[in-house]
This record gives sequence, C-alpha cells and structure tokens, in this order.
Amino acid sequence: MQSKLTDIELIEQSLAGNQGAYAILIKRHQRFVFTLALRFAKNREDAEEIAQDCFVKAYRALAGFSGQSKFSTWLYTIVYTTAMTFLRKKRVDTTSIDDENTYIQLENQSSGLENNLAEQKSRSYYVNRAIAQLLPDDAMIITMFYKGEQSLEEIAEAMSMEANTVKVKLFRARQRLKEKLEHTLKHEAKELI
Amino acid sequence: MNTIEEKLWNYIDGTCTAEERESIATLIATDEVYSKKYKELLLLNAEFTNIELDEPSMAFAYNVMETIRTENAMKPLKATVNKNIIRGIGMFFAFTIVALLVFTLSQVNWSAGGNSAPVINFTMPQLPGLISSTTVYAFLFVDLILGLFLLDNYLRKKLTNATPQQ
Repeated sequence: MQSKLTDIELIEQSLAGNQGAYAILIKRHQRFVFTLALRFAKNREDAEEIAQDCFVKAYRALAGFSGQSKFSTWLYTIVYTTAMTFLRKKRVDTTSIDDENTYIQLENQSSGLENNLAEQKSRSYYVNRAIAQLLPDDAMIITMFYKGEQSLEEIAEAMSMEANTVKVKLFRARQRLKEKLEHTLKHEAKELI
Repeated sequence: MNTIEEKLWNYIDGTCTAEERESIATLIATDEVYSKKYKELLLLNAEFTNIELDEPSMAFAYNVMETIRTENAMKPLKATVNKNIIRGIGMFFAFTIVALLVFTLSQVNWSAGGNSAPVINFTMPQLPGLISSTTVYAFLFVDLILGLFLLDNYLRKKLTNATPQQ
C-alpha cells in the first residue's frame, strides 16, 4: 500500500523521521539513477558508488527540496553534479570528455554487458551499447528523455543548461545513435554471414 | 534552416508549433521522402523508448540506508557536546571559586599587626559539617591540576601550530 504513495508524500514521511519511506523512494528511483551513473562511470562498481552517494546527498538535502519541480528532476540534478565530480576526481581530463573515441574504448573494455550472449541477440542490447558509446552528456540526455519522463525544460534544469541547448544536443545524440546502430548492426550482420 | 530530420523529430516530440505541426503532417502525407523518413524515425523512437534500465546490486537500497543510519546515529553524540553545557559547568566552577575567595577573605583579620608590614592571619574557613580544611585543600589541589592541564593543552596546541606541516 505504501508504495502507492507519491514521491512528495514519501518525502514528507521521510522528513518526519520515517526512514522506511525513504527506502521506498530509493527502490522507486534506484534503477534510473544507477543507469544514469553508468552513463558516466562505465563500470558497475563506480556507478553504484555514484548512485549511493546521490541518494545519501539527496537525503541530507531533503529538507531543502521545495517541491517546485518533480522530485526526479531534483534528484537527477544531484546525479549530474555527483557524476561530474566523479569524472573530475577520476582525472578524466576535459579533452577526453570531448573525445568520443575514449568512450568507445572504455565501452570495449567493459566486460559486464558483453558476457550475456542471449542479450547480444536482442536489438535493445545494441541500442544500450550504442548509448554507452555516446558522450556522457548525450547519453544522459537520451536516457532522461526516453526513460526518465523528463521534458526538455526539466532536463535543462537538471543539467544546468538552456532548454534549446538540450534540444540541439538531443537531436545530435539521436543522429549519432542512429549512425552507430546502423554501423554496429551492419557489422554484426556481416559476422553472422 | 531545419533539416527534414530535425523537423520530423520536432513533430514526433511534439515540440513544434501548431502551424508547423500541420504543415509537417501534410508533407508526411504527400511527400514520399518525408513519409519514408518519418517511418524510419518512428521506428528508431520506439527503439529508444524500449531501452532497458540497468539494475544495481540487491543490497543497493540497504547500503544507502545503512550509510544514512550511521550518519544519523552520530548526530546525537554531536548534540551532547553542547557549548551551553560546557559554559554552565565553567560558570559553576568560577562562581564556586569566587564565593570561596570572598568567604576566605572575609575571615581574615585585617587589623592584626598594627602599622608594621601586614601579616595576613590566614585562617581556614571553619564551615560546619561538610567543609573542612582538608576539603578546601583538596578542592584547590584539583583546581591546580585542572589549571596545569589547561596550560599543558594550550602549550601543546601552540607547539603544533608552530611546527611546519610536512
């Protein structure tokens, strides 16, 4: 019954000292936050660390949540800043952030996703793999737009950007994604033949 | 100048104006290029919508809650080190010392000794019952120890500050 409560109701309960309510909020958003973290970290351990850090930070700042925006938008702002701090700490320099090839290399090194042979057959797998090859910002925008139920304005708020910038980035990200998908699927088809 | 793809994405996302929407819909219906591209983008859009979210470890929520619980458990400890309590204890000791000094000085026979160098006839307070001379000495001794302890702390801090960091 409790899981049917809205985010705002759960926040109110959490602020009143009910930690169980916050646990429900975590379970509700953990997959999405973890996926966003994975767009930046590229490995599950680091992504989990970022995601955990986000929820702890959100809990500490919960009293400051005004409710003017959606809780998810507010939470994704924390995810974005935490992930960016993580990248800086990991000394991934700005040139490599702009260099898509770095992320293609990182993706090639990551082993977690590749191990599942059954999943390799699915088209969803290729889409996910193509997203992982995008720049973190682009991957985050794509994920937030399609899976986070966030409008361009909300994404802009979470990422401290102009809505128009987000729109342009989304368009370019979709174009890149399309190219990557076409390339990957063509390559896979050749291998199968 | 918007490209065909850009226009179509705006149409699919619903971010164009009503007029634009109408004109794009007409183009899709009449123009083969638009129609083909639209179908292609719709398919792509459906694929993006179906991307799967990754699942964190089973203990994820538990780990977060544990971290929060640990932080919360440490807060009351901080709260007990209340500066007002420390001030209160300090004031109590200061008041006791002042009261004792006033009482002791009031017991001194200042007129004794005439014009010669004043010899203070120090008589220990004879408080009935609890306060004996031994108690007073013990109290002063504890004060002395506390004073020395504070002085030691102060000198140690001064020494630490003076030592350059490596």
